[in-house]
Parts: sequence; C-alpha cells; structure tokens
Amino acid sequence: MRGLKRHAWLRGLPLLGGLAATVWGALALADDSLFTSTAAFSQANGAVIYSHICQGCHMPEGQGAVGAGYYPKLAGDRALASWQYPALIVLGGRNGMPPFGLPADQVQQTRTVHLSDAQIAEVVNYVRTHFGNHYRDRVSARQIAGLPHPRYAGPAAAD
Amino acid sequence: MNNTEPSAPLTRRQLLRMIGVTAGGAAMYQAMNALGFAGESPFDAPIDLQGTPRGASVLILGAGMAGMSAAYELRNAGYRVQVLEYNARAGGRNWTLRGGDRYTELGGDTQQCEFDAGLYINPGPWRIPYHHRGMLHYCRVLRVGLEPFFQVNYNAYLHSSQAFGGKPRRYREIKADYQGHVAELLAKATHQDALGGSVSQEDQEKLLESLRRWGALDERYAYVASEASSDRRGFLKNPGGGLSARPIPSQPIALTDVLDSGLWQGISAGDSFDMQTSLFQPIGGMGRIGEAFARELGPLIRYNAKVIDIHQDADGVTATYQDTQTAGAPLTARADWCLCTIPLPILAEIPMNVGSALSAAIEAVPYASAIKVGLQFKRRFWEEDEHIYGGITYTDLPITNIGYPNTGYLSGGKGVLLGAYIWGLNAMEFTSMTPPQRIQKALEYGAQIHPQYLKEFDNGVVVAWHRSPFTLGCYGMWSSEARAKHYDDLCRIDGRIALAGEHASFLGGWQEGAVTSAMDAIGRLHQRAIAQGEKA
Repeated sequence: MRGLKRHAWLRGLPLLGGLAATVWGALALADDSLFTSTAAFSQANGAVIYSHICQGCHMPEGQGAVGAGYYPKLAGDRALASWQYPALIVLGGRNGMPPFGLPADQVQQTRTVHLSDAQIAEVVNYVRTHFGNHYRDRVSARQIAGLPHPRYAGPAAAD
Repeated sequence: MNNTEPSAPLTRRQLLRMIGVTAGGAAMYQAMNALGFAGESPFDAPIDLQGTPRGASVLILGAGMAGMSAAYELRNAGYRVQVLEYNARAGGRNWTLRGGDRYTELGGDTQQCEFDAGLYINPGPWRIPYHHRGMLHYCRVLRVGLEPFFQVNYNAYLHSSQAFGGKPRRYREIKADYQGHVAELLAKATHQDALGGSVSQEDQEKLLESLRRWGALDERYAYVASEASSDRRGFLKNPGGGLSARPIPSQPIALTDVLDSGLWQGISAGDSFDMQTSLFQPIGGMGRIGEAFARELGPLIRYNAKVIDIHQDADGVTATYQDTQTAGAPLTARADWCLCTIPLPILAEIPMNVGSALSAAIEAVPYASAIKVGLQFKRRFWEEDEHIYGGITYTDLPITNIGYPNTGYLSGGKGVLLGAYIWGLNAMEFTSMTPPQRIQKALEYGAQIHPQYLKEFDNGVVVAWHRSPFTLGCYGMWSSEARAKHYDDLCRIDGRIALAGEHASFLGGWQEGAVTSAMDAIGRLHQRAIAQGEKA
C-alpha cells in the first residue's frame, strides 16, 4: 500500500525518535476518533483535550479523586476565578502532573504532550465554563503566550 | 554540515548516515543514559550494617521494593522496624493480577480479574535484566524462582498499519533484510574504493568478509534469495526429512520497502543495555517478590495505613496515618529515623516539615502515564497458529506492544497476553476511558495483527497508572534539567528523614532503582544513627 497516508506517517517519524522504552512512537490511525496522532492532536479543541487528557486524572465531571493522595477537583473550584491559575498549572505542571507547555521538541524527556497556546486557552476556557464553573471572561492564545513557559536549557531530547 | 555530494557514487558518510538511521536506538539509548534511565546497577554485595545502636528504630513508609528491602536489612542489623503501607497488600508496583483479584482505580471503577488458575498479568514491572543484581540478590535470598524473559523473539512481529497492506512481518525478516541490504551496499562501496581511504587495503578484505558473514551475502557480495539469506530470514518452505525435504528459499523484501515501512525502528529492541539477554521474570508473576518480602517481614508491615502527616523533631519522626478500613481517629507511629518511599505525587500532598530544598525536589518530578492491558484468550493461538513463544510484537497502533507469555508454552489451555503497553498521549487517552472501553479498544487494535482475537477473547483487565490510588502515575520522569537542579536534594537526608524509591535513582522506573536507592539511603541513615548513638 503506497499512498498519501504512509507518507504522512513518515513525515511524523522524526518527532517520535526519542521515545524511551517503546520502540515505536505512539501514533494512531487518523480515522479513529478515540485516538489521535500527535499531528492530529494539534487540532484538538478544549472539549477534546479535556476528554482525552485531563479527565484521566481530574475525572469526567471534574470531580477529582482521592486515594493515598488526591487529584484536585475542578468542579466549583474557586481558584479558577483567576484564569492565570489553571493556565500556569497546565503550562508548567504541578507535582506529579506533567507540563503541557514545553516546546514540542522537548516533551519526550518527560513523556508528556505539547499543547499550543491556543489549545491551552481552549482547555482553560473549557474548564472555567463547565462542571458548575461559570466564569465568563474568555482567555486568548495571546494571553497564554504572555505567561512564562517551561523550557529546558539542556540538550533537547534525543531524536 | 555539507550534505550535498550529488556525483559521488556512495560515500562512506552517506552509508554511515543510513546506518545511523537504525542507530536511532543506540543514540537514543545514549541520551537516555545521560538522563538516567539506563545503566548498570551499582549493587555489588548485600549491605553490611554493623554497630547498630541499642534500641534504635526506623519507620518506613511504603511496602514496595525500596521499603521492604530496607526493612529487611535494617531488621537484620538490629533496628526496630515498622512499615506503613497504604494498600491491603505488599509490593507496591511489584504486582501481579491473577484470577479472583479485585482492583478499584481512582474514580471508583472496580475490576474483577477472571483469569484461569495459573494465568496472570504484571501491571507494573515485568522483566529483570541480568545486571540488576540487587533484584536478583533478593530473589535468591527470598527463594523466588526465576525463568527467562524474552525481550526479542525473532518470530514475533513488527507491524505498521501503513506498510505491507497492514500485514505484520516477522522480526527475523526485517532484521535479516535490513542487515543484508546494508551489508551489500557497504560491500559495493568498498569494491568501488568509495570509503575515502579510511580503510586500508588489508582491512578492506576483512571488512568484505565480515560483511558477507554479517549480511548473509552470496559469493558476489549480493543479498539475494538463497539458502544463506533464508537461514536468517526464514524459508518459504522449511527443510525437513524424506522426499518432501527440500527447502525453498524465501524472497527478501526490497531495501526500499524495508526503509519505507519504518519497521527498521523495531530492529534494535533488544540492543539497549536494559534489554539485552539474559532477562528474567519470577515464576508465577513479578508479584512473587513482593509476596515473599511480605512473608519474610510478617507483622512488621501494617496494611491499610494512609499516611496523612509526617513530622520530625529533635528526637525522632512521627507519622500520622488513617486506617482505611475503619473510620476511627488517626493513629501515629514513631521512630528515631524515617525512610520514606511514598511516590512523589502523593508525598507532595502530605504535610511534612522538611527544608525547602527537599520540598522543591519532591514537587519537581512529573509522573509518566502508562497503560497495561491483560487479555485472556480461550486458546494460545499465537503459539498454535503462529509459533510465537514469548517475546514482544511491536506496532505503530496505539497499543504499541503485544507481549506473549514467557511461560506455560503449548499447555493446551487458555493464555493471557499483554494486549497493550502504552506511553504518552495515547496512554493519557486510554486512561480517560472506562476500563471496559480500554479493553475493547485493545481488542480492536490487536485484531489487526491477530485476527483470532475477536473469536477467542475470554476476559480482560486493565491498569491505567494515572488512575492508581497508590502512585498517581507510573514513575518519575526526570528531565535532565530537573535532575541537575533537584536530584541530590531529593536524596540527601533532611534531619531524620531520607527518601528512597525508583524516583531517587538513575534507574527510573526500574525496581533496581528502588532497591539501590534504599541501600544507599539506609547506609547513610545508619552512619547518622551510629553518630547519634555515640553522642547519647
């Protein structure tokens, strides 16, 4: 099978070289709505980002969870009144939560995912208007761009 | 760097660059080594703690590999030891799910494992490299039987949904053909004297002979369908006995198809130091080690103890904990010293009076997202139909790996596969689904490689490590920057508290990291205890 699809896949390869113990980059079929390739995910909006990444820990209704430790609940969280608060946490991570604001070529060091400023704005807006949160002011990509972004000074991840 | 050499036949540089394409694994390994995810364990001999002060005590938080190896050694050295463990079992991530086990993840979804007797899945670690001498030492001491773990199986698959019509290829075919074609090219370049004078005339002959052997080339240094190449990649018809005995060689895949497929990415799967033969697995599941430690330590471990506060003063350390099985008032445990092995995302949420350097280190390490799916099938079709005995298939599908059981071959009954082992974005996406959805998706993807899946599926179980109540993630992912800034602070003793675990090691995610960090920490704690004892 020689076709466009394969070429698209090959173009994606250099991004994927740095995966550690796995041999392949994690790359999904483009036609499966449940899984997304790194390239396709760059188009994901706030609702998709929440339901594909955030809810893994913060849960589908933003209710959080408690075990030996806990994932903070986002439902009715008053700290969300300030958009900078969730934006900075999404950008830089917190405790065990991975940073999502690293440059795309540095995410493999900590096996995390790169979200663009527009996507971070999207997901911050999503969280601040769902789960019983009703903050009307919308955040823009430009505002996210104005916040400090994580970036490693050291060598980029192997590729 | 000047890469434009249009007229030259095929330069050494071009060739080496091409070979370098597969060296991705090795280069990557080198980088990972720098980041601290590979490397030989420094464990040389069991720790020897002499001169324990009379009555000295250590409180250990967490009954995983770090906590229990430390408890074992400290007890033997004469310390009074108590271990607090959140789970109702010992082992931590050293864990095996078997039929009858129940697992409730964060969010409340409960799974009942319905595997047949003797079948299991290791949701956490599943292999022990031969040079992880600390782990092997405790297996020997605790009499945990070991058997081989196959990292590389030449008859397992390399699969790309975008190549060869989505049909998997055997590892041996891709390896032999890649190697054969590269050897042929390099031999050609050698004959054309295109190596730029860097190889002497005498060495050129040796190089050619080595290429013929390494690449299974014919007498004219060509990689073609032959007995020699089939002896690597497999025959179209295998040699046998009698009248039907004659073997038929197989046709190699063209170099361009091997390269275009991307399957060469899988060739180096067993080349990194951590994955080199020999590797081991405990007979009956990785959890056998944690279970053996628990038997050995017996009443020293208190289960169902959720630590909610850690406080040190001039004389000792007090941990306040909640018994998760009762609603009673919090309890306390106290000792002279504390070895804390609680995973960092949880420890970051527990009040603890330590210095700002250690606090900052505890907050500096994100935890990886990872998924493992165990699938029980009504028959071992991978063995019966496809002659795959143990080892791993690699795919570009979101499931990433299919791991075949390295035990119970041809036993005729059911079998359990590792149906998915995922990291990164796809792991986060799997985590975001319910357990039945995750299993369903693992089946759908796996069926693209093994069509028998859908007919033979029996039941499954899945662990999404970010939903694990006792870790909040799979393991600590140190960036080189965070390690430079915080690692030493994380490992340094703060007053009377020392940390240990894979997160306090350069063997991130490996049990050996937990054991060696524990030995290192208790060695230093012991020195302090002796110094303290002399003062008293």
